[in-house]
Amino acid sequence: MLDTIPSKDLKHIGKAVERDDAIEKLTGQALYTGDLEFTGMLHAKLLRSPYARAKIKSIDISKAQKLPGVHAVLTGKDLHYRVGLYLVDKHIMAKHITRHFGEAVAAVAAETPEIAQKAVELIKVEYEELTPFLDATKVFDKDVPLVHPDLGRYSYIKEVFTPVPGTNIANHTKLRKGDVEEGFRKSDYIFEREYTNPNVQHVPMETHIAIGKWDIGDRITIYTSAQSPFTVRNLFSFSFGISHSNIRVITPYVGGGFGGKAGIGLEPLVCCLSKAAGGRHVKLQATREEEFSLLPCRSGLTYRIKTGVKKNGKIIAQKMTMFWDAGAYADYAVNVTRASGFSASGPYEIENAWVDAYSVYTNKPFGTAYRGFGHVEFSWGVERQMNYIADQLSIDPFEFRKINAIKPGSKTMTGEVITDHSGNVTKCMETVAKAINYGKLTAGEKAREQKTGMKIGKSVVALHKAPAMPSMTGTVVVLKLNEDASVTVNHALTEIGMGTYTSLRQIIAEVLKWPVERIRIPIENDTDRDPYDWQTVASKGLLLSGNAAILAAQDLLDKCYDIAAQALRAMKCDLDHDAEKVFIRHKQESFITFKQMSVGYAYPNGNAICGPVIAVGRYIAQGLTNLDKENSQGYPAIDWTYGAHGVITEVNPKTGAFNVIKVASAYDVGRVINEESVRGQAIGGMIQGLGTAMCEGYIYNKDGKLLNPSFTDNKIPTALDMPEEIECFAVETPQVDGPFGARGVGEHSMIAVCGGVGNAIEKAVGVDLTHMPIRAEDVWKALQKKSEGQGKKLKAKKK
Amino acid sequence: MLQNFGYLAPKSLAELYAVLKKNSGKAMILAGGTDVLVNLHNGCMAPTTLVDIKKIAELGGIKYDKKNGLSIGAVVTCVEVAENKDVIKHYPLIAKAVGEIGSPQLRNRATIAGNICTGSPCADSSCALIALGASLELSSADGVRTVFLKDFFIGPKRTQIKPEEVLTRILVPADMAGANFGMNKLKRIKGHDIALVSVAVAKTDKVMRVGIGSAAPTPIVTKDLAPNASLKDTLAAVAAVAKPIDDVRASKEYREFMINDYVEQIYSDLFNGKGR
Repeated sequence: MLDTIPSKDLKHIGKAVERDDAIEKLTGQALYTGDLEFTGMLHAKLLRSPYARAKIKSIDISKAQKLPGVHAVLTGKDLHYRVGLYLVDKHIMAKHITRHFGEAVAAVAAETPEIAQKAVELIKVEYEELTPFLDATKVFDKDVPLVHPDLGRYSYIKEVFTPVPGTNIANHTKLRKGDVEEGFRKSDYIFEREYTNPNVQHVPMETHIAIGKWDIGDRITIYTSAQSPFTVRNLFSFSFGISHSNIRVITPYVGGGFGGKAGIGLEPLVCCLSKAAGGRHVKLQATREEEFSLLPCRSGLTYRIKTGVKKNGKIIAQKMTMFWDAGAYADYAVNVTRASGFSASGPYEIENAWVDAYSVYTNKPFGTAYRGFGHVEFSWGVERQMNYIADQLSIDPFEFRKINAIKPGSKTMTGEVITDHSGNVTKCMETVAKAINYGKLTAGEKAREQKTGMKIGKSVVALHKAPAMPSMTGTVVVLKLNEDASVTVNHALTEIGMGTYTSLRQIIAEVLKWPVERIRIPIENDTDRDPYDWQTVASKGLLLSGNAAILAAQDLLDKCYDIAAQALRAMKCDLDHDAEKVFIRHKQESFITFKQMSVGYAYPNGNAICGPVIAVGRYIAQGLTNLDKENSQGYPAIDWTYGAHGVITEVNPKTGAFNVIKVASAYDVGRVINEESVRGQAIGGMIQGLGTAMCEGYIYNKDGKLLNPSFTDNKIPTALDMPEEIECFAVETPQVDGPFGARGVGEHSMIAVCGGVGNAIEKAVGVDLTHMPIRAEDVWKALQKKSEGQGKKLKAKKK
Repeated sequence: MLQNFGYLAPKSLAELYAVLKKNSGKAMILAGGTDVLVNLHNGCMAPTTLVDIKKIAELGGIKYDKKNGLSIGAVVTCVEVAENKDVIKHYPLIAKAVGEIGSPQLRNRATIAGNICTGSPCADSSCALIALGASLELSSADGVRTVFLKDFFIGPKRTQIKPEEVLTRILVPADMAGANFGMNKLKRIKGHDIALVSVAVAKTDKVMRVGIGSAAPTPIVTKDLAPNASLKDTLAAVAAVAKPIDDVRASKEYREFMINDYVEQIYSDLFNGKGR
């Protein structure tokens, strides 16, 4: 749907239209799942495993059951269902064995949360602690404990994933492009390094919460804070063997997801409790501590990169090995491995590429989708590797990136040819480089160094990401014309805070030529009311839903023109319209208004025609293919959004303390639909990226117990941690099949922040960092190493 | 808050002492509540009764006179301390230290006495007060006793306070009024965080002391140093008491390094006249 309309000719597109959910959220009127109360509703509490891996020898629930006010007590033994999105590997609660610290072992539903908690404390579990498997890089060691000995019996999407039964490998993604060994032979230099990332928690403001009701006749109603009511419904139906038409899932306002609420979460458990309690509503809201170890996190990554380079700075071969620490379950994380596998080089062209990406089961809290879907983690390695190589070759790292940047004519790692309409990563890099005065210190910055004793460093990093989704991801927008010629939209892309609904209203208003105020999209979604959408994930919402919205708006006009043609006795091709009416172009006094036709048109004598107006726009990702399992060649990407960050940091050369002075970001969004939404995504994601870069991450002891399971020791950035200056830019290279040329930018803003910060610190004080997060202490340690001479510049290893 | 407990709010000290005596060992005193409520929520404590002392007038107020020094009541909040004119004028180190506690919301609610009674080795107020040679007034039906803050702590989250006692006032000696000072706190983020280490130095023309947080099982203080003690002697005095450990927040080595770095920085500021 390439649109070459100049921005000045667009009335709504590109404008900072106010978000339609802003007032409800700011005034507290927005209703979230936690606000909902039902007569007779029960509250659930959980008993959780203190061990990473333990046999459950016995559970005694008799005392809990007898406590007055308790209506149901369930353990894993009572629940014979497995759940999962891509790989169905998870019991609703631990059954016979616990696989991670914090896993649910028993659940109680009682009249109050206090009674439920008391009952939980009355449950006695006898465990036999077993040796856990904790290090994903040891996956090929002999005789390691198997997290899932039954892996061979699990169902999974066979066209896409490759579990290896008898091992801890939940998925092995292989990518082979060109001849990597030949590439290394032709390389002048070869560099091989390893980069690491811990598990990270999403920390949405609203923790996971679900209310379930299981009625007679297996009719299920679920209210949940989820990224998709339809995916919850589909996975629920699959696991329980109940028809989709019997399951109703409602998502009220959602207080953030960031990937952690994709797929399915607490919903099966509350429904099973409801069934056991005779059909009462059961509500379960995770505590913040439960967010850290009951619910999923981001997979850890150990990333080994071997790069072959020519003297002129051109990378010609790269072998990439990813050990994804997926934790105890990999139902969603297997796709992180796939999606990061096919983009593991970052936005750089690699002629000869080889990727082995493993999702490895370990006895840790499990990984799932997280904003960036693997790209944040591998970007850390890629962007540090790019700087390392540039340094070794004595080429400026920004120049080195430009030499290797993907551009029209380049082939991606899966063999897709990049075109003029794919986006421009070099332009993004140049934009941010200019914004931070890359390559030199300004007079002000020099004076600042003098005054503070800190050292200032600057970096430019680049990023890319395509949506990671099934090849047949689709969506629908339905427009219902109201009596006053306003439109109510039914659409089920969940608005979890990203602002897409406001953009959709702008798109619909632009096509209809109506004021945007006449378009309303209710924020709540309901599978019984709304048409299908897959999920709010992957930064695909604007592109797919935007196109569906255009088609729906065109359909609405088409239907209104049908009515007008009949009523005005005119040819459709002679009709035109404005915000109020459809008229005959050459005879403008001849018209009927949208109000007149909204619920059916009546002639002056009372005869009526046509019925209420409803319009539909359906859209599906087109031309995508499953990747060849042997080499990952094919078409996985509906679009690529490119971007870049320019980062300025100052570092205390003695203590390692550092400040991020400025972050400038640029994204090739194709076309800005809502300026403020782009800015919001750009800033919000960048700050989330800073959290990952500077302070977030799980710390375990040697037994796999999580040592920082709350905000006390798992810090996230606060308002005081913002950079002193933030600048955002949009580059607009229109996407051929994007709505008005637009593409998504939901995740991209956080992807390369870590590398940017690490590289700027390196530039400032010359330290080499390979582990994320970068705490002041890590910089200090690297400074110590440097002064001991261990981190000295190595001579490039000539092949 | 998933537990049951009684709630009592005595209106006088006499009533308070009686309540504590009656519920000896089972009552928990509630002032700001910023630690107590979290502990209740997490199930770290299970008192049968919460005794709210905020309604006792004698426990409020900040008093200062030249002879007796500063006296801070048990229910005075951090913000009240930080904004008090006498504190700012005579004991600015205290104002600086309480400004480091938690976040603005917490400081509106939390009391400095509570910060001390929690007994945490990383309590931000303690490392300053201990350097100032503060003492505590502990009261019960049996009378009042005064103990030095440096002797008050006996282990992590363990203090000398007896089950029937209540910390009524914090006393800072008159001879420390106007002390030169410096304080630094190491955090993981710029927003609110627990001290990885904290260092406070107070210096008059008679004495210099360094108070240190998160470097031992309790807040600690150096021996009394001469006001013109050398940096070397100061660092040696610090090393004699600071015994930090490795944990998820920081390593022992980094803590040691940063304690020394902070002492050096503050020392240099104080002796180059840059300190107050």
